[in-house]
Amino acid sequence: MEIKIMKNILDRNQNKADEVRKLLELKKVLMVNVISSPGAGKTTLLERTCEELGEKFRLGIVEGDITTDRDAQRLKKYNIPIVVINTEGGCHLDSHSISKVLGYFDLDKLDVLFVENVGNLICPSQFDLGETFKLALVSTTEGDDKPDKYPMLFREAKAVLLNKIDLVPYTNFNYNNFRSDLKKINANIPLFEVSCTRGDGLKEWFDWITEKINNFQ
Amino acid sequence: MHEIKIAEDLSAIVLETAKRESLSKVTRVNIIFGQLVQIVPEIFEYAFRETVRDTIANDADVFIEIVPVKMKCIKCGNDFLVKENRFKCNVCFSTDLDIISGKELFIKSIEGE
Repeated sequence: MEIKIMKNILDRNQNKADEVRKLLELKKVLMVNVISSPGAGKTTLLERTCEELGEKFRLGIVEGDITTDRDAQRLKKYNIPIVVINTEGGCHLDSHSISKVLGYFDLDKLDVLFVENVGNLICPSQFDLGETFKLALVSTTEGDDKPDKYPMLFREAKAVLLNKIDLVPYTNFNYNNFRSDLKKINANIPLFEVSCTRGDGLKEWFDWITEKINNFQ
Repeated sequence: MHEIKIAEDLSAIVLETAKRESLSKVTRVNIIFGQLVQIVPEIFEYAFRETVRDTIANDADVFIEIVPVKMKCIKCGNDFLVKENRFKCNVCFSTDLDIISGKELFIKSIEGE
């Protein structure tokens, strides 16, 4: 006997993500789901972004970390609300864990919530957290083949940051390959080529995210 | 490794459905995965086996159908298969597209007695 089901296996996650999205829209909190490999520079990007936008907007951060709170420790100095989710080995955050930690924030006093997902390019792309959009961050030291290898993330993301452009002379990273692969997958996606440690290119990113936050208010 | 979480959610749906339909044994689980979701079938099947161990789905066969990435061009209405990650209409070259298939993580049906 065959019983037809035909439903999304991640229905539970999707339903909770839809709830989170509705709540954040109501509270006018823009949520950015930051996805990258380990070590690409997510925390450094958030440090620079807090320094630049911390005065203009009310920021909050959710730190997804496998076991430690080391990233959150680095961000403590900005004096903004930060909540850590330890996934205890899990390779991604899901909407249920996000929904739980939203209770720790005063959503009436927030403009933006950055979610630093667990470092991984495949798994986090599958789990909708209820974010306004996904942001893909890659670094030149990882090689120029990431878009072609992980098309789902680059198709789903609203913008891409290419970090560590200051280190290109020490790698075999090829800008043309990277840009043309990205364009093939997502022709109109904004690309910001930056160095989060040296500051190159960050102004364009700040302008872009500022506009997104303003439009969401 | 997202295979584990997806397998856990799948086994919950399989066991709930089997209970509701009063099955004493699940013999087969039919799944559809889109090519974009990058599931490794062997890892997924292994993870699923672990999550249904010692349940009525312990011996179920897992059948995974992988569907290709298919898009519809918003401009000219053409449907096409995406090859080598080229997300561009092969008729009018527009990149304004809607996805038809390729992102599925579906349970299609279960079989049992």
